Amino acid sequence: MIEFKDVTKTFTGKNTVHALKGVSLKIPAGGIFGVIGQSGAGKSTLIRCINMLERPDSGEVWVDGILMNRLSPKELRQARKETGMIFQHFNLLSSRTVFQNIAFPLELAGVSKDKVRSRVGQLAELVGLTDKLQTYPRQLSGGQKQRVGIARALATEPKLLLCDEATSALDPETTRSVLSLLRTINENLGLTIVLITHEMAVIQQICDHVAVLEDGVLRETGRVIDVFTRPQSQATANMLQGLHGSKLPAELRSKGSANTLVRLTFIDQRAHQPIISQMIRTHDLDVNILYGRIDQMKTTPFGMLLVELDGTREQVTEAVQFLQKNQVEVEVLSP
Amino acid sequence: MINPVMLSMLWTATLDTLTMVGLGTALATVLGLPLGILLATTAPKHILEQPLVHRALGGIVNIGRSVPFIILMVAIIPFTRLLVGSSIGTTAAVVPLTVAAIPFVARLIDGAFKEIDPGVIEAAESMGASPPVIIFKVMIPEALPALILAVTLTAVNLVGYSAMAGAIGGGGLGDLAIRYGYQRFRGDIMLQTVVILVLLVQGIQMLGDKIAQRLYHRQ
Ligand SMILES: Nc1ncnc2c1ncn2[C@@H]1O[C@H](COP(=O)(O)OP(=O)(O)OP(=O)(O)O)[C@@H](O)[C@H]1O
Ligand SMILES: [Mg+2]
Repeated sequence: MIEFKDVTKTFTGKNTVHALKGVSLKIPAGGIFGVIGQSGAGKSTLIRCINMLERPDSGEVWVDGILMNRLSPKELRQARKETGMIFQHFNLLSSRTVFQNIAFPLELAGVSKDKVRSRVGQLAELVGLTDKLQTYPRQLSGGQKQRVGIARALATEPKLLLCDEATSALDPETTRSVLSLLRTINENLGLTIVLITHEMAVIQQICDHVAVLEDGVLRETGRVIDVFTRPQSQATANMLQGLHGSKLPAELRSKGSANTLVRLTFIDQRAHQPIISQMIRTHDLDVNILYGRIDQMKTTPFGMLLVELDGTREQVTEAVQFLQKNQVEVEVLSP
Repeated sequence: MINPVMLSMLWTATLDTLTMVGLGTALATVLGLPLGILLATTAPKHILEQPLVHRALGGIVNIGRSVPFIILMVAIIPFTRLLVGSSIGTTAAVVPLTVAAIPFVARLIDGAFKEIDPGVIEAAESMGASPPVIIFKVMIPEALPALILAVTLTAVNLVGYSAMAGAIGGGGLGDLAIRYGYQRFRGDIMLQTVVILVLLVQGIQMLGDKIAQRLYHRQ
């Protein structure tokens, strides 16, 4: 669907900033693709390169087989009409009612008044704002404003929805409801969503694929479940720490226990099976559970355990092999 | 105290002033709006970014605003004659008033557009809106209360300028004040014209505020 080929973007000014340093990336159609990174990593620049709100200095951006950098202004406007975008600060027109805001892209597309009315009605229902159509944005809460933004972005039935920190200005409860709306839209309308965020929790809740951006460099990309359970880069690992709370407490580390400390990660069905108790029975060792949690990644259950294995060296080695054979991720932390 | 002749002179002078201010404001707005739009949209990072045009326009506007009105009025007499066939009278005074107000309006309108959240313009761009659509469907509606206030301020200024135009035979309240109040030592007429001028300014400002307020409340 979308492909970045060696895209660079440098901002020159008082001090030069290399916002994107040769990013190559493929975004598949139909899913929810997340881009995560710290503030200033270049996330906004990256997503804005997709609809050329920001023009890359070099490299190519392809959307649906179209090379976006080469479009004439007129062709670009046409392409933009087929892409929806929502913003951190909503960017609604304050002089227009909710109805008129949602109708705006339809007006641009020259849709007839009757069609506009019925389409806006549908969209308002989709985002749950049927009773607010005649109010002005000033009178709406942040969550409601973002719903208007979403309805507006979907008005022309785009195949692609770009979300620049769509939930960063919202409280956790509202964030959850807006994210689940995005997920519903993705599932029901089958459109591709690209969203950027600095919160791992957002990625975890709705994304299928994720790309990790650090200092304008793409550190890694892949399925969320893979990147979360087997991070390949330090940047990812750092960001995950906050989410899982799985950092080894300093006290445990320094205790220097003779036992082997391991972190086990269970994905999907593995999270439901009694693998630990099987291991204890078949390998005759003791297990001391220090920490554990079970979570959900989009729809996939995902568990994490921090345990000490108490047994002879052979027993421990065999136990680890048993776990790995059962597709449990094992990370030996000490000794 | 106020005899009928005086009263009718005051009335005519007030109408003349209203004509000068009204026509001057209307013409200056019609001509200054495109200039203000160009000034705003050719600015760096704006929808019609054109650094050279922007700087040139900015320079012209600044020069226009720094010429004292009384000098401008005299300097463009040939132009005024060319346009209306005379350089004296109410109609003739509208020309320098308009010319003086255009750069003023343009700068105020530029300022009103600068107040628009750039994110809103960007959102319109992301929907594939062309520059004319952004100007007429986004920038002008979004800045409307500020634009109304800009026009109000221009009208108020023109009340003052029109009194000055009166000094060189433009007609209106200024003319009356000079000829009767000053040259013939009629303090009462001087006072009456000043009171009317004050009321005019108050009235214009209140009207402008009211319209802007109504537009703004809605938002
Ligand atoms: N228009 C611009 N002019 C100059 N520098 C810019 C511009 N836009 C972005 N930058 C710089 O480029 C870098 C990347 O910015 P970008 O907005 O893409 O980061 P981000 O990952 O979206 O950060 P945040 O989470 O804070 O939104 C930053 O250092 C920023 O200061
Ligand atoms: Mg950003």
